[in-house]
Amino acid sequence: MPDSLLTILKFCFLALLYLFFVRVLRAVWAEMSPARIVAPAPAPTARSARNWGGAGRVGGAGAKAGSRLRVIEPAETKGQVYELGEELTVGRAGGCQITLDDTYVSQLHARVFRREGQLYVEDLGSTNGTYLNRKKVTAPIAIRRGDRLQIGKTVMELQG
Amino acid sequence: MNTLLGAQRRNTELGLLLMAGVLTAGAYTLAGLGRSASLPANLVPFLLIILGLLAVAHVATRRLAPSADGILLPLAGLLNGVGYVFIARLDSDLAGLQAMWTALGVGAFVATLLVVRRARDIERLRYTFALAGCALLLMPLLPGIGRNINGARLWVRLGALTFQPGELAKIALCIFFASYLVEKQPLLAMGTRKVAGVWVPNVRHFGPIVLAWAFSLVVMFWERDLGSSLLFFALFITLLWVATARGAYLGIGGVMFAGGAYIAWSVFDHVKTRISILADPWSVATGAGYQTVQALFAFAAGGLTGTNIGQGSPQRIPAVSTDFIFAAIGEELGLLGTVAVLVAFLLMVGAGLRIAMRVESPFEKLLATGLTAIIGLQTFIILGGVTRLVPLTGITLPFVSYGGSSLVSNYILLALLLRISDDHHERAGA
Repeated sequence: MPDSLLTILKFCFLALLYLFFVRVLRAVWAEMSPARIVAPAPAPTARSARNWGGAGRVGGAGAKAGSRLRVIEPAETKGQVYELGEELTVGRAGGCQITLDDTYVSQLHARVFRREGQLYVEDLGSTNGTYLNRKKVTAPIAIRRGDRLQIGKTVMELQG
Repeated sequence: MNTLLGAQRRNTELGLLLMAGVLTAGAYTLAGLGRSASLPANLVPFLLIILGLLAVAHVATRRLAPSADGILLPLAGLLNGVGYVFIARLDSDLAGLQAMWTALGVGAFVATLLVVRRARDIERLRYTFALAGCALLLMPLLPGIGRNINGARLWVRLGALTFQPGELAKIALCIFFASYLVEKQPLLAMGTRKVAGVWVPNVRHFGPIVLAWAFSLVVMFWERDLGSSLLFFALFITLLWVATARGAYLGIGGVMFAGGAYIAWSVFDHVKTRISILADPWSVATGAGYQTVQALFAFAAGGLTGTNIGQGSPQRIPAVSTDFIFAAIGEELGLLGTVAVLVAFLLMVGAGLRIAMRVESPFEKLLATGLTAIIGLQTFIILGGVTRLVPLTGITLPFVSYGGSSLVSNYILLALLLRISDDHHERAGA
């Protein structure tokens, strides 16, 4: 076997080796980049449907429109409002739609989601638990207008 | 459970593992062509065995840790595979043994995933692990089963099997350190008295660090294993620093290390020799510095892309298939090959630290940090020694070097890291 061919094969091997690392880095990047966190679809509220000339989405029509969570406690963030879409995550991590800077809140603490027009809250294995009307949430449970959701030191009320 | 992320990670893992298998077979082919200008006769069975072992590990993660990190296993597989090719090229007797140890390592990997179903379960066994770790470390000192090899008393012989219990002790002690520090964290983070303008914790809480330091020195003294005692010490300081977020511990550790190193230098002849080799290997190039000088020649002969596997002469370096395998890679794959090895370790350490950052339980956070630190520190200690950056202390290059105990314990370590990353996603997942 001529040496030049061997050298070419060696270069192929080294190129493949670095291609392996490129693929590893791409896998890491895919997990780290914020694009992977599926952004919530804009809430199909009645208002936005009107803004789009009445071309409301069929799926959103039956949904309870314009629901939102309003912060009741603590005093510093009182009155803040979060619009609810199809899904919303609560936690200490920056990637959550509601980020609470509170040591009692887990990175990914809970989520509020909509199934067939009904809103549910689910605890995502948080350390200190999620409470709905002072009762601990152990499984996904329906949440209605006026219900109070406590996560860490923050209490929020479902409105709309 | 988080099936979407899990499925994505497992598919990534499968793709990368296939590539690692092909790369290993490619390196094996290159080695065959380089040595005898013909394709290795057993290329197809070789490829099948490699892919078979990787498949076993992959199926185990799919079944037992479906949401675990997807890049650690392929990186370890690649390092193990490339390491094996070099060992086979250097010493065919060791190659057979290393193949057996690799199979045992994959078995240990699966067994660990099978036994440790939740990382927090092992937190309660902290004193069991502490005792086991100390017992393992002291085993080679026992008369009858302890063995001296190359002047270091690190081996134990039971029947036909020779192994280094210290390799397993690393993991056991890391588990103990992590759970101990989680328990004592508030006491160690608090400064209670002021010395020279800085708040330092109560002297009482220095107890464990002094004990660990003393213990590592005892091991060093009796077994003449400088690399491992350095590793234990650095691991403990790292964990102490991470657990308390107090930089003062790094300073205290540095001072203690300097003191210990000075005493070792003045008392032990072999330490003195190592330092003088580091300072000037050329004056003793045919004597004590022979190994280091030959390694430097190997790196120089390799240049940018190497002489090709099988066409260099790395077998001139003593202990080339264990401590000095990096020099063989440097000679036959050149700078690009050695950088690839470094990148692989860098990516592994990065993946380990990402697991530590994401996980919530303090024990798992600290354990993931510690296990990652073991790989990172060990890599630094041996590669620094081989390339003449720090004094040479014999220790294996994780996954690459020949060494059964090291390979098996590194696979156990890998399984624990995967378990921690899977635990986290099972709880955080939707």
